[in-house]
Amino acid sequence: MRDRRRSRRPAALLAAAALAFGTAACGSGSGSARNDDPNTLEVWTRSNPDPAATYERVFAAFTKKTGIKIDYQPVINFDQQLQSRASTKDLPDVMINDTALMGSYQGQGLLKPIDPASIAGHDQITGKTWSSTVGIDGKHYGIPYSRQAQTLMIRKDWLQKLGLKAPTTWQEMLSVAKAFATEDPDGDGKADTYGMVVPGSAQNGYAAWWGASFLWQGGAQIIEPDGKGTYRAAMDSAAAVHTVTWMKDNLFCGDNGVTQPGALTAVTSTATNFQDGNAGMYMTGPYNIATFDTTPGKDKYEVVPAPAGPAGADVLADGENIYFGARTGKTKQEQALAAFLISPEGQKLAMTGKNQPVVRIPVNSTLDAAKVRDDARWSVVQKAYEDASQQFPNAPDFAPIKQDTADALNAIFTYCGGDVRSQLGELNETLAGDLKDQDLLT
Amino acid sequence: MTATVPAPAARRVFGVLGKKAVVPWLFLAPGLLLALVFKFWPMAKGIWLSFFDVRPFLGDQWIGLDNYTRVLADHRFQDAIGHTLVLGLGQSLGAILLGFALALLLEGQARSLKILRTAVFLPAVTATAVVGELWRLMYYPTSDGLLNSGLHLLGLGPVQFLDNPDIALYSTMAMGIWIWAPYNMVILLAGLAGVDRSLYEAAAMDGVSLWQRLRYITLPAIRPALMIVLTLATIRGLRVFTEVYVLTGGGPAGSTDVWMTRAYTLGFTRNDIGGASAASVVLLCVTLLLTVMVNYLRKRGEAR
Repeated sequence: MRDRRRSRRPAALLAAAALAFGTAACGSGSGSARNDDPNTLEVWTRSNPDPAATYERVFAAFTKKTGIKIDYQPVINFDQQLQSRASTKDLPDVMINDTALMGSYQGQGLLKPIDPASIAGHDQITGKTWSSTVGIDGKHYGIPYSRQAQTLMIRKDWLQKLGLKAPTTWQEMLSVAKAFATEDPDGDGKADTYGMVVPGSAQNGYAAWWGASFLWQGGAQIIEPDGKGTYRAAMDSAAAVHTVTWMKDNLFCGDNGVTQPGALTAVTSTATNFQDGNAGMYMTGPYNIATFDTTPGKDKYEVVPAPAGPAGADVLADGENIYFGARTGKTKQEQALAAFLISPEGQKLAMTGKNQPVVRIPVNSTLDAAKVRDDARWSVVQKAYEDASQQFPNAPDFAPIKQDTADALNAIFTYCGGDVRSQLGELNETLAGDLKDQDLLT
Repeated sequence: MTATVPAPAARRVFGVLGKKAVVPWLFLAPGLLLALVFKFWPMAKGIWLSFFDVRPFLGDQWIGLDNYTRVLADHRFQDAIGHTLVLGLGQSLGAILLGFALALLLEGQARSLKILRTAVFLPAVTATAVVGELWRLMYYPTSDGLLNSGLHLLGLGPVQFLDNPDIALYSTMAMGIWIWAPYNMVILLAGLAGVDRSLYEAAAMDGVSLWQRLRYITLPAIRPALMIVLTLATIRGLRVFTEVYVLTGGGPAGSTDVWMTRAYTLGFTRNDIGGASAASVVLLCVTLLLTVMVNYLRKRGEAR
């Protein structure tokens, strides 16, 4: 009995191995078939269904114009999907995703370098905007597509009811927030309103993304270039300690109701208090304008520049770049698509329509956001981007830096008894370690 | 590619063993194949990658055990071990106890019990993401939230279920128990159905108390079912991920970060696939070890 059982094993292994080889061969065959068509580009964007509809319109116009087909994939968990595609060494041809990810992608070798001169219409993008796509080795790795800066969305009707003005400084913002929380601006007789919405979770680095504007306004930096191509961690500066202490004491550990309940575990998709009509301020990107026009309603809120801190009113600027996947072999078609996307026609298409716009501030300098949309609020955003904004440094792999900063900020805001200076000191050491991992530490 | 089946070799093997030996394997082949492609191959790949600095487009670099030392030395992973153990143990034991209580209460043939059992089983078949959203609403930290409005009536609260780093882990645990108790209930119900009724009757005649009946009849009789539940719960408890990810994302201040959420962050937010693989391999080894141990204890118990 025992002998017989043992002798079955080879048969089983053989059968299994044969079947496995069969499927493996089929798998690779069908995978390459889709990408072999030279006239079809696989394009990925990180989009929900609503903005994806805008992209579809843009790509349809491109196909009509050039005959190049687009296999469009809106991907919500973009980076997870991209990592698994990278492991098969078969990337999408063109990707449109956040500016802050360029260093990370380039560091992994996922991107083709780009010569700006090879993109038709490249001269309509300003030198300053182009400079934001220069990688660590001095080459360009992305083509600017859309830019934005954070602004303050604030409930106009609540301000009027309480006889207040839109805040222009941190102090004013704090008093408005307290008034929103305590003086019943929605008039239902219940204490169910909050000052401002904060996506303060460390998940996906949200705390750092939202907190960056405050850091800039307080005169702090997360990492600083030293002019020699390397960086130093800067979160232990006096300005950083002062800023983070102010945020902690006033927004998270001060009076109840200044921020929405659950702020420290909220990500942007769960921080819906502004739409829900129970929070009065939200510092966020302009893509939300379309959403907020429906709820709470276009007449109920206004878009104003961010209140200034001790060092100014700079906000976080970010946006999307067009990236070409490494080793895809369809450079000509990719360049044609990029040229269309940055052309006035391509940009206008992506800025208008009934769905969420995918180009916020156009990178094409011949266009004006407020004029294209016939909406003066967009000039507030454009002005913030042009005059008072800073991006995350684009050359290093910023993903670990952002995540570590978010982890630390979230912890500082959670434990009200902690010592900010020593906690930021620890963060600074972690950041120095991140830079060292990339051989970028001064 | 159908010709890949090495026909002569196969025929020789088939000839030696005869049809009888091959047929069962043919029936098993689809399952084996699926396991191979979707389980064992990715697992082997994961173990392989854990020794590399993974950069698919620049060439992976062999770095030996560096990933392992980095993961094991990271204080956030060390914190995560504690959270994983507390959450895994609490959630497993809680779910087994509650599952056992539910099974005792809902055992029987009456139609009303069947309906109740179905209702109670619902959490186990609901998508965890949906459950997470539901519990986020129930845990809403003002008196508008379901749980807090209840506490408000009693003059208590509001409790920051998810935003207080001292409570968040236990809030997650409560949700985990709610999800997994009905699952355990079903396995234990099957065990209870197999208990010899005559023993209960004999016990009733001897006039034993409820507790004695549980301790000396029910528990020994459902021991195999309990062991299955325990093994499954141990494995599940250690690789807990979805419950935490949908409810708190590991926050606030990392107070609910468990081993797998840490590995996920490392792999997909920091793009360190090698490190994430190493973390997963460590978990695999620990789980394997624990499963073998539970099995050993069970066998020793049975032998006794």
